[in-house]
Amino acid sequence: MLEIVRDQPNSLRLKGRLDAVASEMAFTEFDLLEGECTVHFDELDYISSAGLSVLLHTQQRLSASGGFIRLSGLNPNVKQVFEYAGFDGIFEMI
Amino acid sequence: MQQHFGRNISEMGPIVAFLDEAVRDLPLDSKAAFVLHMVVEELYTNMVKYNGEGADDILIGVALENDSLVIELVDFDSKPFDYSQREEVDVTASLHERKPGGLGIHLVKRFMDEVNYQYKDRKTHIKLVKNLKTNA
Repeated sequence: MLEIVRDQPNSLRLKGRLDAVASEMAFTEFDLLEGECTVHFDELDYISSAGLSVLLHTQQRLSASGGFIRLSGLNPNVKQVFEYAGFDGIFEMI
Repeated sequence: MQQHFGRNISEMGPIVAFLDEAVRDLPLDSKAAFVLHMVVEELYTNMVKYNGEGADDILIGVALENDSLVIELVDFDSKPFDYSQREEVDVTASLHERKPGGLGIHLVKRFMDEVNYQYKDRKTHIKLVKNLKTNA
């Protein structure tokens, strides 16, 4: 299960699992982001390549107009997925 | 422990419940549990995506053997698809050069110590091993 809270227009908080089942719903929410955005991972327990695809697609879309998403609060397991995928080079992680 | 699952993405709910039970019974720490969930999702969703018309269920098995986590997926009615021979993803590519495909199998290979693929008589058998002691 994934819960996404939009606490500001350019800020999302993720809770639960960003997996193949949740990725379609996540695409809908991420498609609303514009400009310079922050996605909070503090309560995200799990991510798979389906979740990485949502983030990559969004970063590529925002980048075309000078925007970006930065990621905060990744737990060590989730962070390792980003590192193995080489995503630490294309996302700012704080 | 092992269980059969249908060939549909809607089976991910029951699969997650099965893996959670395996994590409790074996038991596994949070890192091993995370890896278990991820590699099973990546391989199962690939089997559904690339072989959706297969007739039989897919078997998922999880076990601890000595100090290793052993994960098996068996597709009894499949076409050949050797995961270990897939082209490597370029994880150093720039944002604009990136394509989403292939990352799942790349992650499976990075997180596991062994990925063994066997195909015979329409049966695909994938056996994955992760040494929990050396990767603690």
